[in-house]
Amino acid sequence: MNVIEISNLTKTYHETEVPVHAVNGINLNFEKGEFAAIVGPSGCGKTTLMNMIGGLDKPTSGHVEVNGTNVSELASSKLIDFRLKNIGFVFQAYNLIPVLTAKENVEFIMQLQNWDKKEMNDRTANLLTNVGLGAKLNSRPNQMSGGEQQRVAVARALASKPQFVLADEPTANLDSHATSKLLDIMRKLNDDEDITFIFSTHDQRVIDKARRVITLEDGKVISDEVKS
Amino acid sequence: MTLLKIAWRNIWRSKLRSAVVILAIASGLIGGLFSSAWMNGMAIQRVKNTFELETAHIQFHNPEFIDNSDVKKTIISTNEKLEELSKMEGVKAVTSRLKTSAMAATANKNMGVTIVGVNPKTEKEVFGLYKKIDSVSGDFLVTKKKNSIIISKALAKELKVRLKSKIVLTFQDYNGEITGAAFKVTGMFKTDNSTWDKMHVFVNDKDLRRVLELPKDQSHEIDILLYDYSQASILSEQLKIKYPNILIENWSEIQPYISFLTDYMDIMMGVFMLIILGALGFGIVNTMLMVILERTKELGMLMAIGMNRKRVFMMIMFETIFLALIGALVGEVLSMFLIKYFGKTGIDLSSMAEGLESVGYSAITYPSLEPVRYVQITIMVLITGILASVYPAVKALKLNPAEALRTV
Repeated sequence: MNVIEISNLTKTYHETEVPVHAVNGINLNFEKGEFAAIVGPSGCGKTTLMNMIGGLDKPTSGHVEVNGTNVSELASSKLIDFRLKNIGFVFQAYNLIPVLTAKENVEFIMQLQNWDKKEMNDRTANLLTNVGLGAKLNSRPNQMSGGEQQRVAVARALASKPQFVLADEPTANLDSHATSKLLDIMRKLNDDEDITFIFSTHDQRVIDKARRVITLEDGKVISDEVKS
Repeated sequence: MTLLKIAWRNIWRSKLRSAVVILAIASGLIGGLFSSAWMNGMAIQRVKNTFELETAHIQFHNPEFIDNSDVKKTIISTNEKLEELSKMEGVKAVTSRLKTSAMAATANKNMGVTIVGVNPKTEKEVFGLYKKIDSVSGDFLVTKKKNSIIISKALAKELKVRLKSKIVLTFQDYNGEITGAAFKVTGMFKTDNSTWDKMHVFVNDKDLRRVLELPKDQSHEIDILLYDYSQASILSEQLKIKYPNILIENWSEIQPYISFLTDYMDIMMGVFMLIILGALGFGIVNTMLMVILERTKELGMLMAIGMNRKRVFMMIMFETIFLALIGALVGEVLSMFLIKYFGKTGIDLSSMAEGLESVGYSAITYPSLEPVRYVQITIMVLITGILASVYPAVKALKLNPAEALRTV
C-alpha cells in the first residue's frame, strides 16, 4: 500500500535569468514501512523534493499525494494542519525549541493536537525512553549533545503518530558514534513499529542502513535500488 | 498554556535586550507618571487653596452685588438661611461674610483692598485662612477688643506696618456716606497667592457691620463647605430652586479657571502618556522585528512541524505583552515610591517662589496621583503592547517555512 505517490513532479526556480529545474519530472511511490534514502550530490534536488513531499514547498507542476490527499493543492492553512497530523520532521540542525526541555519539545506536538494529558505524558516518556533519553527528560537543548538533540527531534517527529517521517540530512552534524546510535534507533522504530522513514542524505552510513536508495542527479531520478 | 510558557521563556533568551526594553518602558513611565503627579499635585494644591481661602464649595450673593459690589445689595435673613443650610445633607459647615472695597492707608502708603468681615468662629469651620498665620504672626481675630484686622505679610510689607500697627480703612457705608475707622493689626498671614494676599484684609464682622451701619441679619455672602466638593454642582442646582432670588454658584462657576485647571491637567496627562507610550510602542516594534529576524529559522521550524499561523501570531503577541507589562510594572512600582516619597517631602522650588506665588501656586509642590491612574496606565501599556505586536507578528506570519529553514 502506497503512503506517498509522486507524479510528474517538477520545481523550477526563476530567480535567475536562466530557469533552474531543481526537480524535473519525478515519479516515485513510497510504501508503508519503508526505510528509504534519497541521495545525490549537492544541488541535485534532494531538499527541494523533500520539501514538496512534506508540503513545505509547492511544485511547479505534478503532485504529491499522501494517503490519497493531494498535498500540492492544499491551502497553506490546511497544509499546516495536515503536516501536524501526518508528517514528522527531523532537520539537519536539530531545530528543537530552545526554551523547552526534551519532554516539553516532544509534548509540544501533541499539545498542538490537544491530546489528553495522561496519554501525552505516557507517550512522551515512552518515546524518549525508546530513543535512549529517559534520563534527560528535563534537559534543555543546550544541555544536550548534538546526537541527543537529534534523538529528541526523532521522538518529537514520532509524537503525533505520523504517516511518515522526513529526515533532511539528519546525520550531517553528528559524529560517527552519534550517527550510528541514531540510525540504530530509527531502524529499530522502523522494524518494530513499521514507521516509514525517508531520508535525504549523502552520508554513506545512512545509505548503508537504508533498504531503498533513490539517487538523484540534476533533479531527476537516475536510480531507484531496493536492497534485498 | 504552552504558548504562554514559550513566550515567557523566549523573552529571557536575550536577557540584556529584554532588560533594555523593560528599562526603556519603565523609565518612560516613571518620567510620565512623575511629571503627571507633579502637575496634578500643583493643580490639587491650587484647587485646595481656592476652596480654603476664596470660594468654599458654594456661595450665595445678592445678584446685584456681584455687578458693582454695592454694600446695600445684601442677602437678607442670613441667620435663617445659615440655619437651614447647616441642616442639609452633605453640608459640612456654613458661614456668612460682609465685603466691601476700601482704601487702606498708613503713614507711608495707601492701597486699595477688599475688606472681608467674618464671624471668627464659623469662618474657621469653612475657610482655612487661620492656618496661614504662623505662631509669631499673631492670631485670627481671637481678641475681644474692637477693630482688629488681619492682613497679609505681603500687604504689611507694602504698607510698612507690623503687628500692633494701625491702618486706617476708608469706605462707603450703607447710606452712601464715606466713612472710615482705624484698625489694629493683630495677625498676619501668608498664602501661596501673593496677588490675592495683597488685596484682602479680614476684620470681625461685628466691627465692619457697625462702621458700615449695615442692618442686622444681612450679609453680602454665604459660604458653604461640603463633605464632597464633587457634589457642589448637584447641590447648587437644588439650592437655586429653593432660593430663586439669590445668585447661587458652585466653585466651578465662581472660578471657571480652577475647573478648567483640573480638566486641563487630565488632558495634559493623557497627551503626555500618549506621546510616551507611542515612542515606547515604536521601540517595542523595533525590538520585536529584531527578534523575528533572529528567530526566522526557528519560526520556520515551528510552522513546518505544524504550529499554525494563529498560534505563531499569539506567541509573538504574548512576548510583546509580557515585555510591555513587566516594564509597566517596574515603572509603576518605582513611580509609586518616588511619588510617595516626594508626596511627603515635597519638591522645593523656593528659588522660583515669587513667580509661582504671584499666580497662586505654592513654592513647595507635593506630587500626587490617584490610584486609578495606575490602573489606566497599565491598560494603556497593555493596549500599546498589543498594537506594537501586530506588525512584527504579521511579518512572522509571512515567512515561508521552507525558506525560513534555509536561513543560517
